[in-house]
Amino acid sequence: MKKLYLLSAVAAGVLALSTNANAYDSTGCGLGSMAWRGQSGIVPQVLAVTTNNIFGTQTFGISTGTSGCDPNGRVTGGTGRMLLAFLENNMEQFAMDAAAGQGETLTTVAGILNVDEGEFSAKIQNNFGTLFASNDVDAVDLTLSVMQLAKA
Amino acid sequence: MRWGLLVLLLCMASEAAANDDFAESDAWLAVGHYHNNKSSIDSENFFLAENGKTNPQAELQATIELFNSDDNEKKCLFPSRYLLLKKNGLINTDFPDCDEYEKFRQDLQPAGVTLLFTDAYMNNPSSMFGHTLFRIDTKRKGTQMLAHGANYGAFTGDNPGALYAILGLTGGYYGGFTVKPYYDIINTYNNIENRDIWELNLDLTPQELDFFVAHLWEIGQTQSRYYFLSRNCSYMLMEMLDAVRPSLKLAEQFPVHAIPLDTFKAAYRADNLVKGINYRPSRQNKIKHRYNLMNDEQKSAYNQFLNSGNFNTKNNLSKAQQVDVYETAYQYVQYQYIAKNLELNEYRKQSFDALRNRNALKEKGSIAELEKGNSPLKAHESMRVVAGAGIRNGEAFQEIAYRPAYQSLTDNNLGLPKGAEINFLETKLRHYDNQNNLVLQNFDLLTIRSISPIDKMFKPISFQIKANVERWQNPKDEKFGYLGNLSVGSGGTYAFSDWLWGFMLINTKAAYGGALPHNSWLAMSANAGIFADFEKWKILAEIEPQWASQKLGQKVTYKIEANYVLDTNWAIGGNILAENNYGDDTEEFSLGLRYYF
Repeated sequence: MKKLYLLSAVAAGVLALSTNANAYDSTGCGLGSMAWRGQSGIVPQVLAVTTNNIFGTQTFGISTGTSGCDPNGRVTGGTGRMLLAFLENNMEQFAMDAAAGQGETLTTVAGILNVDEGEFSAKIQNNFGTLFASNDVDAVDLTLSVMQLAKA
Repeated sequence: MRWGLLVLLLCMASEAAANDDFAESDAWLAVGHYHNNKSSIDSENFFLAENGKTNPQAELQATIELFNSDDNEKKCLFPSRYLLLKKNGLINTDFPDCDEYEKFRQDLQPAGVTLLFTDAYMNNPSSMFGHTLFRIDTKRKGTQMLAHGANYGAFTGDNPGALYAILGLTGGYYGGFTVKPYYDIINTYNNIENRDIWELNLDLTPQELDFFVAHLWEIGQTQSRYYFLSRNCSYMLMEMLDAVRPSLKLAEQFPVHAIPLDTFKAAYRADNLVKGINYRPSRQNKIKHRYNLMNDEQKSAYNQFLNSGNFNTKNNLSKAQQVDVYETAYQYVQYQYIAKNLELNEYRKQSFDALRNRNALKEKGSIAELEKGNSPLKAHESMRVVAGAGIRNGEAFQEIAYRPAYQSLTDNNLGLPKGAEINFLETKLRHYDNQNNLVLQNFDLLTIRSISPIDKMFKPISFQIKANVERWQNPKDEKFGYLGNLSVGSGGTYAFSDWLWGFMLINTKAAYGGALPHNSWLAMSANAGIFADFEKWKILAEIEPQWASQKLGQKVTYKIEANYVLDTNWAIGGNILAENNYGDDTEEFSLGLRYYF
């Protein structure tokens, strides 16, 4: 039975995969740094999908799905770092929620900043034009202005 | 003195006996991932005893020794074993300070565990059966976007297709857990691959949650050989849950293959494991939902906006209705960009045209977000047996067919994607009355079909791949033989309405068999068909002319398949087949009872 499985699935795989060059990316960013010690084959691969860099060059439309996780692949760090990582990866959804003055990403960002969601959302909606003044706004600028706005 | 020694010896003996009992307990076997005295974990660093992989007793002894030693660095790798042994009174030392493990817990801020199922993704063979992963819910302020997904997957690298498949099936890759923020998971599945996500919130006690995180850390340090069909992403999650609650015994339900949906259902059906279910629709489903709820005026404004960046019928729409138009258009622009149908600059322009206009309207839209999906928990079971009878060229027959997985076009598609077919290893045996013999009529190695309608917004390719062995009668000498067939094709599907689809596929085919002159032929074919879905009734009608390198392969096939759904796991199906092969006609009628289990 197992052999049969193997045989047919190999055939299936050969057939189907040859039409699809993109092998499924099951690579995340690593559970803990210890997992990757001394395993030279894995590290480069992990880095390959972690195109994020912490200095934030992500711009609108370049961020979604870039798996912008820190080397441990986790939500981590202080407010600024967490917010930057979040906005780098969710700028498009955030822009829509910001224009609407409501939505999941506004709730999340208000949580990260530990501010009142209703007040914060209204501020963001009213300042949408300033936050997204240009079409190629980058995540660092956005993070800074969101933080400033939240404090104001 | 002598008595004292004897007492001491007796105590040691009973302690060893207690340990032996514990070494055979469900809890210890599950935490070491043992089945039949062999662990499914392959990393050597997971075992403290030399023969630990195959000897749970020795491993238990070595673990107790570790926690009585001062090797703190190593202790930090086994927090779940520590919790288990401490709880059972087998050790009474303290767990050391472990910076990296503590940091892990701090980042996660665990509040619960959710089992995720992501829908089938027909464009990638390794995702056709869906996928499962965990989410470690967070107690961070905000939303679960800040939670973490824990995914068990193979580290595959970039091997070419065939090698990838072979390595994947034979354990040529290693699998391990990776952790990502949940917002990354949402982006990957909902927004890039356009797959629905289903979230099963697990009902764990605080101690079980603690143990889950500890065990994830422990298993996260290891890798194991990955087998796409058996020891795969979904199977390992079952072992994880067993480790957390040994009474579940989920993994043993999947001795041969672990289909993601089956494991998801098994978790759902387990006693007291699930406390809630939540649906996160794909971007594509959100857009479709919104578009369907817009009125004609809105739809026309929407199309105008996508073509020109504006629309001139604002006076006919309320502010809330305009908001619907802009928000839907914005989401579609995002979809188009991911689908690589828009250049970056054009994409940004359209995005901000939509958002600035939307922002100027300080109102909420009128459309409620999509809340209900096609729940995979309602799907029929994966295995199918069909028992039936029929007539082929005047000869009566009875037949039985068994298919381990997964879904035909005419099967009940509640809970499964409509228009998707995966038939894996179907074996059909027939008894013909005249000849009074039992024969293998057909063996389907694999059939994959994806019939998906093209509309103004979405333009999926329909395709099919089929590999089978069939019983065949040579019309010249009337002898029977077996043909191996291979067929690959693609085309498009059009939806005349919700329930009536038409499709057309162009195929390349090859047949091989000793019964054929020169052993083989090559062919091209076109199959045109309609698929009618009236929920209870499914009807598939096809015509397929075929041009082959040999006259024997030259034919026109007409097929009608109808299925009446009686219940989730019962249906009655009928087939009519007519083949016109150079004056040699074949006709076949059959009726069968389908049971899914």
